[in-house]
Amino acid sequence: MNRSDVIRLAQPRLRRFAPGALLGLVSALCAVGLLATSAYLITKAAEQPPILYLSAAMVAVRAFALGRAAFRYVERLASHDAAFATMPELRVGVYERLVPVSPDGLGSSRRGDLLTRLVADVDEQQNLPLRVVQPLVVSGLTAVAAVVAVWILLPAAGVVLLAGLVFAAALGTAANSWVSSRAERELAGLRGGYQAELADYLANLDTLVAYGAASGARASLAEADARLTRALIRRSAGAGLTAALVTLIAGAVTVLILLAGIPQLGVGGFEGPTLALVALVPLAVFEVFGMVPLAWGAWRQVAASADRIASVVPDSVPDGIPVDRPGAANELPGGPVSLRLREVSARWPGERRDALSGVDLDVRPGDRILVRGASGAGKTTLAHVLVRFLEHGGSYRVNGIEVRDLQQDAVRTVVGLCEQSPHLFDDDIRQNLLFAREAASDDELLAVLDRVGLGEWVRERGGLSARVGEHGSLVSGGQAQRIALARALLAGFPVLVLDEPTANVDADRADALVADLLAAASGEERAVVVISHTPVPPELVTHTLRL
Amino acid sequence: MRPVDPRLLRYAAAARAFFAAGGVLALLQTAAVIGFSYLVTHVIVRAIAGEQLENLVLPLVLLAGVVLVRFAAAWLAELNSARGAAVVKSELRRRVLDAVTKLGPGWLGSRNSTAVGVTAGPGLDALDTYFSKYLPQLILTAVATPIILVVIWWQDWLSGLTVTVTLPLIPLFMILIGWATQSVQQKQWEKLGRLSTAFLDVVGGLSTLTIYGRQHRQAARIRAVTDDYRSQTMKVLRVSFLSGFALELAASLSVALVAVSIGVRLIEGSLGLEVGLFVLLLAPEAFLPLRNVGAQFHAAADGVAASSDIFDILDAAALPSAPAGVPSVSSEFVGGAERGAGLQVRGLGVRYGENVAFEGLEARFERGAVTVVTGPSGAGKSSLVAALLGFVPAAGSILVDGRDASGDPVPRPWLAWAGQHPSLLAGTVQSNICLGDETPDAVAARASLDLVGGVDLDLGALVDSRGGGLSGGQAQRVGAARAVYRARRTDGAVVVFDEPTSALDDETEAAFIRGLHVLAGEGRAVVVVSHRRAVIAGADAVVALRALEAVLP
Repeated sequence: MNRSDVIRLAQPRLRRFAPGALLGLVSALCAVGLLATSAYLITKAAEQPPILYLSAAMVAVRAFALGRAAFRYVERLASHDAAFATMPELRVGVYERLVPVSPDGLGSSRRGDLLTRLVADVDEQQNLPLRVVQPLVVSGLTAVAAVVAVWILLPAAGVVLLAGLVFAAALGTAANSWVSSRAERELAGLRGGYQAELADYLANLDTLVAYGAASGARASLAEADARLTRALIRRSAGAGLTAALVTLIAGAVTVLILLAGIPQLGVGGFEGPTLALVALVPLAVFEVFGMVPLAWGAWRQVAASADRIASVVPDSVPDGIPVDRPGAANELPGGPVSLRLREVSARWPGERRDALSGVDLDVRPGDRILVRGASGAGKTTLAHVLVRFLEHGGSYRVNGIEVRDLQQDAVRTVVGLCEQSPHLFDDDIRQNLLFAREAASDDELLAVLDRVGLGEWVRERGGLSARVGEHGSLVSGGQAQRIALARALLAGFPVLVLDEPTANVDADRADALVADLLAAASGEERAVVVISHTPVPPELVTHTLRL
Repeated sequence: MRPVDPRLLRYAAAARAFFAAGGVLALLQTAAVIGFSYLVTHVIVRAIAGEQLENLVLPLVLLAGVVLVRFAAAWLAELNSARGAAVVKSELRRRVLDAVTKLGPGWLGSRNSTAVGVTAGPGLDALDTYFSKYLPQLILTAVATPIILVVIWWQDWLSGLTVTVTLPLIPLFMILIGWATQSVQQKQWEKLGRLSTAFLDVVGGLSTLTIYGRQHRQAARIRAVTDDYRSQTMKVLRVSFLSGFALELAASLSVALVAVSIGVRLIEGSLGLEVGLFVLLLAPEAFLPLRNVGAQFHAAADGVAASSDIFDILDAAALPSAPAGVPSVSSEFVGGAERGAGLQVRGLGVRYGENVAFEGLEARFERGAVTVVTGPSGAGKSSLVAALLGFVPAAGSILVDGRDASGDPVPRPWLAWAGQHPSLLAGTVQSNICLGDETPDAVAARASLDLVGGVDLDLGALVDSRGGGLSGGQAQRVGAARAVYRARRTDGAVVVFDEPTSALDDETEAAFIRGLHVLAGEGRAVVVVSHRRAVIAGADAVVALRALEAVLP
């Protein structure tokens, strides 16, 4: 995706966008009209005409006052509704582009943060119609209407107003490009640097204190803070100048119109009330125009978010991520499943070295294979090759069929994976299990929970309807692994891969957990491949693969 | 949120100077607004009365001057508030860090350090609106509105009355509508929360969905959930936008009332044009700062709410530090025949509020020996280490070579320690090993690394703060080498390792255990918290902690 793809999805179609923009325009015109008619009314009234002459103006003043508030209210509802209406398409658009590359085409490190950021960026796009396009359209059209009206009354005043508005717009644009090109980039770097240093300080506070190094780290943090603060102030000075200059231009326009208008009094029907009107209308116009610098600020954020979305969501599937061949078989014949890997190698997208090479592995029903190896030896890479998250070199056959001739989904019906950090959905335990086998009854679910050692725990928490919290925040690392295993058992994968089940578990609980999981997963028909650096009791393992 | 949060002002002392400057600038801005309105009126009225442009040069020049003053005041006010916000944030950051450092690792350990980092970093940015937009407008309201009101009253009491009556309606309606919004929101709070995170949940779980072949069915669900979210949110917005409506309505209707009433009295001839036009121009200015306050109120309130964690931290640090529980039980133990070489704990205990981590621990860790501490999860192993480090208040006493060292300053001069997590800092392997040493010794660093089985590691290798560049096992050995280095450089009596081999394979673990004995052979008490069989088998002594439930009858 590139930025314009994102922007296209985020900006509502004209039919949806128009009502809000129109109502906003009417509300803005009411604001200008309120000042114009009341200035006209008062100066005209001073000529003491019969009150009847002014009743229309009096009605108009009240109507504009009501209209300004009422139309604004309806406009906000309409424009928010229009902005929200684009969200399903944008979200689905992003999601569907993520599916073929997830998970390994998204970069392997800190994927959780990346996705959280991505989702926030997608939501940020709501501000495109709301805070960028609509204010620009409304203030632009209001300005045009005001210029035309003033020009009809006094051409010179119209020209002055136009010049002032153009000047203010140009100034706003220039300030925006200065802020976004220099100041913002500098700030982003300083902010990120400070944040990283702060995170390090906090994460390692115990070590820093125990080694007497805390005060040195504090001094360096204070320095980074001072740099950041100075940059912030510099940026604000520039941004604040723009807003203030708009008031300067507005005032200057009033003075110039007075200079142009006063000699014209009494010439060609240009009377006192009209002078008041053309001199004061610019004040209201520039108040509406004040939305423009804010819109530029909002645009910078929206554009930055759109760029981040574009950089995360690739245009095409990167090298190293499997793509289904046309005509690939979409299912495997039933029955026992054996895997046969010969000279298998694999590398992560964007890496120059193979993370795995020359692996031979046979997996037959009933096998329990322990994969060992130092960190970085390619254990997780192997797991991802087995479930076709990663493309591989060499040969990988399921029941004699080369997996490249099968659809990825077909391979994943027979080879399952319990991830290092299994994702639990923000729902209850039942729903977290059911998506593995939708037809399962509560009794089956409880039986499988018993099998993974969670039966007691689930009953204590009030049964299957107990919630697991956002990202499983209400369960511990070990419990999450057990739930993930329960899910995999329900799905009944003939081959099940457990990737470092103890990665997020306290060291003193890890050994028991891995033994428990392996015991629970074992079965006559099922083959289990467990990747672990914690020791596994030898009686639970039939083979060991060293990477 | 109250209009001004007193805690923010108390902790952000730097803000006061900016308030004062903001007040002065607000005064200047108000004077410029009144001057502008008066001069514009004056010029228009005299021009209508037939005055020639030549005779209006002076007021027009004055008007241009006022425009310049208004520009300068507006810019300075912006600068002042932006500067204020930046300085206040910086001060709050410093205070939070002071507070966290004072509360110490023991306190931080019971929290999520990432969350604290967000609180002290981006979390503070939530206060931007409060300090740079909301407060300046509040000051302007406090200064400008009364002055302009007085001028209007003085010029035309009837208009003054109209504005005075309508002004309080704005905050009144905002409060009422705020309540209504809250009750609408509360009714659907849970539902809204779940709908808003549903997309994140699906995206976050995409790989899990893929494993189960469920990834293709989610588009329809995302669409449905997002549509649902939209209709639920619109329900809330219909109510909450009413506050903006009330605000605009009160402001513009009151201007309209003033205009019409002035118009009628002008026709009757009971009011002059100069007064009428002047008041008309001033009336909206009386509302403008209040309207801006209203427009920023919710963003500011959200910011303050988001930053309330900051004050929890600051308030916690402001409390006097917790007493260390029961005083030392063994003042007489020191000296005499029992004088032990090494580390000894007597009646040691740690409790967190009501929860006892462990208590009444008697144990001896001799110099020259490797002593392993074992025990099930929750038996208090980590708390024992924290007590030795001085990170948590502990009852009982800690004796080093017979001397009561319980009250020694942190960092303990006699102790070197490597935690469960390697805690690597950005730099090189060597800078990590020599942490806290102002004159790093590369030879000693090399020797320390070799001792813990890190012969394969290069001292100059770059390390980032997430341990990037090193594998888990390598990072763990760098952490251990750091403790060895410190023990040797300070000739520390005690070296503590917490689960030092959890990421090591068998061979490296064996090399590490050999290193422990070398270290003990240098005359140090080596304490290893571990559950690994190999480590326990290689120990000279074992201290077994039992889970507390098991101890109680």
